[in-house]
Amino acid sequence: MSGSTIRVIIGPQHPALKEPERFILETEGEYVVDVKVRIGYIHRGIEKAMENRTYLQGLYLSERVCGICSDAHTTCYVQGVEELLGVEPPPRSRFIRVVVAELERIHSHLLWLGVAAHEIGFDTLFMYVWRDREVVMDLLELVSGNRVNYATNTIGGVRRDLNDERIQKIVKGLKILEERTKEYLKMIEKEQTVLKRTTNVGILSKSDAIKYGAVGPTTRASGVKRDVRADDPYAAYDEIPFNVIVEDGCDCLARIMVRGKEVLESINIIREALKRMPSGEIRVRVKPRIPPAEALSRVEAPRGELLYYIRSNGTDKPERCKIRTPTLANIPALCKMLVGGYIADVPIVLAGIDPCFACMDRVLIVDREKKRADVWTLDMLRRYGREWYQRH
Amino acid sequence: MVSETLNLILQLLIYPGFLFIFCLAFFSEWIMRKFVARIQSRMGPTYTGYGGVLQPIADFIKLLGKEDIIPALADRPFFTFTPLLYLALPLTAIFILPMASQSALISFEGDLIFLEFIFTMLTMMVFLGGFLSGSIFSMVGGVRAAIQLLGYEIPFLIALFSPSIPASSLSISKISAWQAQNNAWGLWTQPIGFSVLVICLLAELELLPFDIPEAETEIVAGWNVEFTGRRLALIRLGKDVEVVLASAILADLYLGGPQQVWIIPPIIIFLAKMFACLLLLGYLKTLFARFRIDQVLSGMWKYVVPAAMIQLIILKLIW
Amino acid sequence: MAFAKEALRNIFKKPVTEKYPFERREPAEGFRGRPIWDMKKCIGCGTCVRVCPVKAVEMIGRGKEAIIKHHLDRCIYCGQCAESCPVKAITMTPEYELSDTDKSRMLYVYERK
Repeated sequence: MSGSTIRVIIGPQHPALKEPERFILETEGEYVVDVKVRIGYIHRGIEKAMENRTYLQGLYLSERVCGICSDAHTTCYVQGVEELLGVEPPPRSRFIRVVVAELERIHSHLLWLGVAAHEIGFDTLFMYVWRDREVVMDLLELVSGNRVNYATNTIGGVRRDLNDERIQKIVKGLKILEERTKEYLKMIEKEQTVLKRTTNVGILSKSDAIKYGAVGPTTRASGVKRDVRADDPYAAYDEIPFNVIVEDGCDCLARIMVRGKEVLESINIIREALKRMPSGEIRVRVKPRIPPAEALSRVEAPRGELLYYIRSNGTDKPERCKIRTPTLANIPALCKMLVGGYIADVPIVLAGIDPCFACMDRVLIVDREKKRADVWTLDMLRRYGREWYQRH
Repeated sequence: MVSETLNLILQLLIYPGFLFIFCLAFFSEWIMRKFVARIQSRMGPTYTGYGGVLQPIADFIKLLGKEDIIPALADRPFFTFTPLLYLALPLTAIFILPMASQSALISFEGDLIFLEFIFTMLTMMVFLGGFLSGSIFSMVGGVRAAIQLLGYEIPFLIALFSPSIPASSLSISKISAWQAQNNAWGLWTQPIGFSVLVICLLAELELLPFDIPEAETEIVAGWNVEFTGRRLALIRLGKDVEVVLASAILADLYLGGPQQVWIIPPIIIFLAKMFACLLLLGYLKTLFARFRIDQVLSGMWKYVVPAAMIQLIILKLIW
Repeated sequence: MAFAKEALRNIFKKPVTEKYPFERREPAEGFRGRPIWDMKKCIGCGTCVRVCPVKAVEMIGRGKEAIIKHHLDRCIYCGQCAESCPVKAITMTPEYELSDTDKSRMLYVYERK
């Protein structure tokens, strides 16, 4: 590193970040030449807390890992537990899971569009998109009973049914959403200031996307066709025809277009699911104790591929539950995207991967000299913190 | 003699002097906020006073009561100097604009050049305040303001001086009087100049899409990130007075200034024109995203400077 | 200038902000608000205590003399207690304005008279 760089810290508190992480940028003038990421500011110990709760209680904990992708987390967890038990949820419940998951995807992408508009300074678009997001939040309140943290999934099926009145309201709401989203996409493609800020910004070429292991809309905007709903279908996705949206732009504008078109695609998926929904029961009863087994389940969260690994040991509490969220997979690609750009591009590139740092933080201490990895208890962490501050 | 000086002091302090301008500044901030909020489908200030009219005054008083912190690395004299000058310069500039009658409180040949000098000094204040505040973010903001000055200064000068060519005078009062008498408003005789002046005023006032020195999501608050308490109150008041100044310039130089229409006093006509220009600036503020600093420079020199030159050439050919 | 027409149109429409608390909107049907226990149906089995993910329900005694204590500040309003109750003694009301400044008001005690 030459001596003429200035260190600009997009620190734990910054208006560009919705959640705290630290990005240390080495800049020369307005160019960013190096990025160091430091994560772990909102590590909450969820994986350890899962080991002290029964499977049903752990469901509500996994829902609160993230506020916006909460349904994806519960779907993944519930699928994992059902695989451990060897039960199949009834067909109607699988379709209802698809409906709620796609409604959540619409909600997440609309929220993201508003936030991305705010990052480039376009407050008007931010206000308009969030005004229309209220439509989908009202639909979710109708379907599940709450505007966030829906808790529709349960082990063995879903908890609430969709009656005709709710289906009518969903169809009406979807029409409004489709019309507004198409209009916003049309206006964004024509607005010169937005195009200037997002074209050729945050470039991630196709080979880099595969090399750094990016997931979700970030990699689909670089031409890589990877979507868990199509590659490894779960819930009712193998019975509903849909397209995987891929763009070739490799820049932030491509990411905006991918997410916007995914909203339109989700609206179509919900319509298909409502048309094809079979009748029948919505849950099966399950046993509380699960024999020893292990399961790996994947879903396509709004941000990418979400992985849960659950191991059971014969009691009613899991032995280990490991969560790998999509934002963690996108961080190395993010560092590649930031280098070579301007400081002014940092917020929109950051927003481009749709960061959800709340999901992201898991800590594993790897001690290279002693060649072992262990998990620390709270007392060990406290002692280490006190000694560190006494030394510095 | 005494009554004349007393008259002058009253004019300076109350109308159309300080008190009037401060009330106008607060009122125009309220109008701008309400207008922008209605465009964005939200309410804007609603509960302080009738319809939220007292909200800017409430914000000002709240800021005056906050703690005033000087960062350890900041340059003390400039840290105090900058907010004071940032308020004092636009106030000085307003006195040379005709508002209540055909001639301003102070008018002399060449006050247009004085106005241009004040605008350049304002941006120098922004640069110094940002650079010497002792924080990385404010330094980046101040440097960006200086770079932006390089972009918009030339077309700004040209657009300011274009109305003086048909009027053959460099005094703002005479220009607006000439435009009012001959009914030859700059709006339709020099439309290109009008658009160029609007764009450069957006850049000067740091409104979107040129809000770069103060980009909230990139460098927190840009050049005024370290100012708190009383100093920030003065800066915000200075910004409001600057917006009034910009709208008043548009109304005087391109829309004919205060003129007596029928029995309505000239001040009302002037205020109507000024608020129309204010609403225009507010409307343009909501339509765009923020540019990047290199795009501002290249865009300004590629499109706006040639447009201003063309305007000048056309004027020279006609007049 | 792609947003120019949309911006002009919005000036003449009403703002979409709901003037809460002067205009209050009712939540949708089935909204998961505060749960209430019907002590005439409760048999004191303790299922709601066992199932609650956050230990917001306490039971003193067993069987027909049980007293139920519900901690409103711990509850996450998931509705699992209402779902698991074998006699359907718990209903989720649509009450959501539950904030308070006094911690003692956050404890609801259900007894049989």
